[in-house]
Amino acid sequence: MNKWLKQDLWRHLVGVAICLFALFPLYLVIISSFSSSGSLQLSSFIPKEISFANYNKLFNDPTIPYLIWVKNSLLIAGSVAVMSVVIGSASAFAFSRLRFKGRKLGIQLLLLVQMFPAILAISAVYVIMERVYKFAPEIGLGTQPGLLLVYLGGAMGVNIWLLKGFVDSIPSELDEAAKIDGASEVQTFWLIFVPLAAPVLAVVALLSFIGTFNEFILARLFLVDMESRTVAVGLQQFIGGQYSQNWGPFAAGSILASIPIVIIFLSLQKYIVSGLTAGSVKG
Amino acid sequence: MTYLIRGKVALLIKVVVVALLASVLLLLAQSAFAQREYVIAAFLAISVVLLALTYLSKISIPLKFFIPGILLLTAFVIGPILYTVAMSGFNYKTGNIISKEEAIVQIKVRGIEAAPSGLSFDIKLGTVDGKPAILVSDINTPEYFLSTLEDRTPLVASSLTLNEYGVAVEAPNFTPLNESEFASADKVYTGARFVFDDRFFIALEGFEAGVVSQQVLKFFPESDQFRNLLTGAIYTDNGRGNYSLADDKGAILEPGWRAPIWFENYSNIVTDPRVREPLIRVFIWTVVFALLTVLTTFALGLLLALALNKPIRGRRIYRSILVLPYAMPSVMSILIWGGMFNTEFGAINALLGTDIAWFSDPNFARLAVILVNLWLGFPYFYLISSGSLQAIPSELMEAAAIDGANPRQIFRKITLPLLLQILSPLLIASFAFNFNNFNLIFLLTGGGPRNELDGEIAGATDILISYTYKIAFGAGTQDLGLASAISLIIFILVASISLYSLKKSKVLESFA
Repeated sequence: MNKWLKQDLWRHLVGVAICLFALFPLYLVIISSFSSSGSLQLSSFIPKEISFANYNKLFNDPTIPYLIWVKNSLLIAGSVAVMSVVIGSASAFAFSRLRFKGRKLGIQLLLLVQMFPAILAISAVYVIMERVYKFAPEIGLGTQPGLLLVYLGGAMGVNIWLLKGFVDSIPSELDEAAKIDGASEVQTFWLIFVPLAAPVLAVVALLSFIGTFNEFILARLFLVDMESRTVAVGLQQFIGGQYSQNWGPFAAGSILASIPIVIIFLSLQKYIVSGLTAGSVKG
Repeated sequence: MTYLIRGKVALLIKVVVVALLASVLLLLAQSAFAQREYVIAAFLAISVVLLALTYLSKISIPLKFFIPGILLLTAFVIGPILYTVAMSGFNYKTGNIISKEEAIVQIKVRGIEAAPSGLSFDIKLGTVDGKPAILVSDINTPEYFLSTLEDRTPLVASSLTLNEYGVAVEAPNFTPLNESEFASADKVYTGARFVFDDRFFIALEGFEAGVVSQQVLKFFPESDQFRNLLTGAIYTDNGRGNYSLADDKGAILEPGWRAPIWFENYSNIVTDPRVREPLIRVFIWTVVFALLTVLTTFALGLLLALALNKPIRGRRIYRSILVLPYAMPSVMSILIWGGMFNTEFGAINALLGTDIAWFSDPNFARLAVILVNLWLGFPYFYLISSGSLQAIPSELMEAAAIDGANPRQIFRKITLPLLLQILSPLLIASFAFNFNNFNLIFLLTGGGPRNELDGEIAGATDILISYTYKIAFGAGTQDLGLASAISLIIFILVASISLYSLKKSKVLESFA
């Protein structure tokens, strides 16, 4: 017992203290989502009641199209995830497995482009999409397809880079064998590589999903209509300036929107950490 | 599956997909061309050619894999970057947003004045033979006439229908606008000049009154000048996107246009104290913020990793709780923290028993930013430190222990240096990431608090990127040119930091 105290006590103390720090805001937001007042009251630490008024408001108040926001987020993030991985994995495969002129230059260019922080180009993206709107209102500024295209373009750099890392780690014996058997590069990609890399592609798709789900600033600039917003934008605008009014529903909405993301994250922890150490930082 | 990739079916599918995509892009290119967006039209047309060449011929196999990615990257990343470079060379800000042609048209429209007589009339909007016209009633004289863009027809009161104020509402040949036409009347009638006499015309003031007016500013295309017909003043192109008087450069005509000023946005950063001083302040805070964030998150993460670097009871539970801050969507957690720092209702003041106005005091706001970022970031360093700790061979520590080193010495002399060596690229990457951590600042403090009185838009917690965003999209003057120039400087800074760290981590060598 004495030895345990001496050797492990400090470890538990540190662990518990930091766990409390980690849980504190989450605990508070859960309590306030179940309080009936609806206003920002984060100063009572013990719940006095359990009320579903906020959740009720979220789903039944016609001025809060929460479910539509969730649908928008899922749709946009889902499409970006799938499309960017399909397109990105083709490029990553080519960078990793094909030998061609300008390969090195291409990788370096990609690396450089990838470092340009998306927010810095935001005014340019805005002006360009404003122009696109003039001749193609369906995909210009203020539309979800337009936002989707911008996300896809932005996801390319990071995803190709991340996927290339993963592709490099997949042994190439199989596709060399396929090549000897007379398969073309395109066939090798679809018939050998994609089935082999499916789990990795799924992981990158989910990471991309989380990233897009979290994206806020482009979405805010693009999606002005109440009905076309994503969850992140909707909830932010919703408490903007008036903490007192909508805090309860905001808390409830954040919790519901976070649960799937947290679950995905925890189940992918292993891959995310290896992706992190490969040099990408969660955005 | 195999059939889809080999043989005739595959060829058919491929041709159909390529044809569909190409026709959509062609349609877009055509309408872009019609709207005179030549760069976009050219890009779309080139895309079509590239798509067709790549997928319907055997010109290059790698291109088959790259084309979709390249096109998307070009359109939405490289294109905007180049556009940013171009914008940084322009005087491109509120008041100088449109092109020169548009600016000239607008100056002409705005360059009218009421006639010295000060006459104004009641009017009704409508059409004569399908052309815009106004039915004018001078109820004082009383006198009535119809005026179009070409001529003026006097009317006798007996042929008209008057309302209770004596304003004509109906006249022969005159068709008043119906409600749906009214909705789009603005485009046609506002700015139109209806005939009054040889010198003056009637300009609309709202939809029910017309003022006898005259053109004061006249444009002379041969000399590229505006002349004030009353005073004789001459406004010339000042080369910076405005027409101004020759002897008083401050007297400009509104609006201006976006004009190339080459490197002036960059030189302003150095020479103009109104740009330079806030920028230096913001830059210092950006570096301090990023450094402190890396230090605090790394220290806490490392402490945790050390504490849990032994299979103690409950380690799994600790681990899954500790990554929660990292797993939560950061937008939500930042907003939640924003609520917790609320002065009146927030948990932080309640917990501490204080009454601090966190976001109104510069230093408390900075503290709050660092604290929230610590919460968001420590799990990342916990995860990677605990991974790296396992990578350090235990023989090293054992050997040191045999030589009589105490645990503290082992940590300071062996573990920490090795760890720093492994993690330094990630520490630098984290610095670069936080250097541009826009979401945190924007959502937590909005960059504030700032001194509202001196009109300065940079707040105490603004970092470069949030400050740049404010310059480009803020509430006051929006200066896209300056914002683009600053953006490119940030890019160069961050890219150098990142390249340095990559070089250090030897990633670049792997494909050398």
